[in-house]
Amino acid sequence: MTLAAGQSMHAAPPGALVRFLHRHEGWRGYLLMAPAFLLMAAAIIFPIGMTLVMSTWSLSGYETVTTPGVANYTAMVENPMFRVLILRSLTIALTCTTITVLLCYPMAYYVAFHGGRHKAIWLIIMTLPFWTSYLLRVFAWKVVLGYEGVLNTGLIGLGLIEEPIAALLYSQTAVTIVLAHSWAAFAILPIYVSLEKIDRSYLEAAADLGDGPWRRFLRITLPLSMPGVVAAFIMMFVPTVGEYITPAMVGGPDGMMVGNLVQAMFGPMNNWPAGAALAVVMMLTIGLAGLVFVVIDRLLRR
Amino acid sequence: MDVLDQLGALREGKLSRRAFNRSLFALGISPVIMPLLPRRTLAAPDDHATYFTWGGFDIPDYFDEYVARRGELPNFVTFGSAEEALNKLQSGFVADIAHPCLSDVPRWSATGLFQPVDTSRLSNWSAMIPELWDVPYNQTDGKVWMIPFEWGQTSIAYRTDLYELQGEESWDMLWDQRYAGRLGSLAAGGDVWWCAAIKAGIPFDQIHTEEAFEKISVVLREQRPLIRVYTDDTTSTDTALAAGELVATMAWNSTVVSLQGQGAPVKFAKPKEGALTWVCGMMLHAEAPKIDSAYDVLDSLISEKAAIFNMRDYGYGGVNLKAFDQFTDEELAALGLSRNPVEVLQTGHFGIPQSAEWDRRMTETWEQIKLGF
Repeated sequence: MTLAAGQSMHAAPPGALVRFLHRHEGWRGYLLMAPAFLLMAAAIIFPIGMTLVMSTWSLSGYETVTTPGVANYTAMVENPMFRVLILRSLTIALTCTTITVLLCYPMAYYVAFHGGRHKAIWLIIMTLPFWTSYLLRVFAWKVVLGYEGVLNTGLIGLGLIEEPIAALLYSQTAVTIVLAHSWAAFAILPIYVSLEKIDRSYLEAAADLGDGPWRRFLRITLPLSMPGVVAAFIMMFVPTVGEYITPAMVGGPDGMMVGNLVQAMFGPMNNWPAGAALAVVMMLTIGLAGLVFVVIDRLLRR
Repeated sequence: MDVLDQLGALREGKLSRRAFNRSLFALGISPVIMPLLPRRTLAAPDDHATYFTWGGFDIPDYFDEYVARRGELPNFVTFGSAEEALNKLQSGFVADIAHPCLSDVPRWSATGLFQPVDTSRLSNWSAMIPELWDVPYNQTDGKVWMIPFEWGQTSIAYRTDLYELQGEESWDMLWDQRYAGRLGSLAAGGDVWWCAAIKAGIPFDQIHTEEAFEKISVVLREQRPLIRVYTDDTTSTDTALAAGELVATMAWNSTVVSLQGQGAPVKFAKPKEGALTWVCGMMLHAEAPKIDSAYDVLDSLISEKAAIFNMRDYGYGGVNLKAFDQFTDEELAALGLSRNPVEVLQTGHFGIPQSAEWDRRMTETWEQIKLGF
């Protein structure tokens, strides 16, 4: 009896952790975050760290030399290839993002304001193409844009052209078209959500005060949906800059993007350090571009 | 529950958590069990060797003997170029058997990733054409590094109706300004670099020199604006040539044989400068996990039947002498082959093994040229 009483008095009771967490709200948060953080560390932070370290290595024959150096980065400054490919990737990504956002805005607008009872069905229909594999979708475009493809034979059948248009496939145009379609869902959904959130009574108020439909759109709907548009821009721009599959399949010699060079470095060239350095530079470039979008977003929210 | 009911419930926020979970479960379980269902009809992957080969060779036609012995096909993994394959193996991928070419052997065997083959374990070895493997660098202690599987040429496949030939057939055809944007090329440096050396007039024993590097680069950069697509995918090449999208392209024998079989007016050029000739075959991984099965795969690949298929359906040279008895001289000539393979191999230029440094520099330069620099 006395022993048991002494234990409960002096030894740490089993509920110490619970009590500690009850008192310190911050630690409660960290503990809740721990599983996600561990996963992040294992799947994101560690590989990025590895990439950073590897980018300072170099090669000699088939052997990797692990003495740190900046040779991979200086090579990127000296060789114009990297600059041209990075610029081309940014241009293609920006073009197709702009096209997609412009095309998706009316679609999202229609569903948000006129979708009626069938909003869910409309959204499902719009995202239906994304239920098939990405590779399959790119390949389907190859069939559409090909030399004897749907588009060319259709145009010849209508008598609009005599010879198939060869530039439809294996060109930067082809890459832009395919990317614009492939990532459309990532543009529609954020825009839809921001339009859906708009309080309809603002529009009624504007109508009461004599604004026509066009002015209502410009003064209320568009500004209030801008965060969605910016989100759509970021969500589509970031993954398309580093795109590899689409240019590899429909790009042709002049449609190659920086992702293809990274692949070539990790693949046939077998120069992982240089590939890692290029990946780091791309990460910084995309980060910088993302920052621009975030700043625009902040300015719009004021 | 009906799908539409569920969608309606979802929209109105009335879908109960239990119903939602049930749908998720149904959705989640199908991808999990789907691969399990037809498993029994496929080869049990655990019992068989893995064959790491070029796309197009992963077909059952080569494995009659193997299937007769072991009941099912081996496992296949494919690659597009030898450089890509070696890179994957070096980064830890283990396949019992890989499929390089003879001139790759010194570099590949130096990596320590392979073991020489004990040919006494191959029942079909006695029928092999010796010239295809009997070079010093392919042997060690009476064992052979690479077991030949097919030999052939890299040359120009062109449409006889669309490409207007001026003078003799020549490598200049792939540098023909008249057909800018309608010419094609293979993508791997292992073919393109050597063919460009032929075009630039560089003897293969000089290919490692600085001067050769510069001349070949110049020739390839000059060609790039004319090329519609660089690809090692024979299906893409074949369809593009059949459609007239390409009028001439760098190709292997199989492109021409399969297109002629479909009645397309396609010809495999005999360039006046000579074509690139090669012998390719199998190397055994040093730590091949299914070594006995791997030996059976090798034996099946050098069987008479496999060689006949290679010759008749792909137009590649077979490695088994018995296979040649099944063809008449006319048939062989039509396939661009000969009863004496050495004859064909010597009319062209045969690749010479190069150092790892050379290979790295060549690949790096070539990849940059392809990207336009």
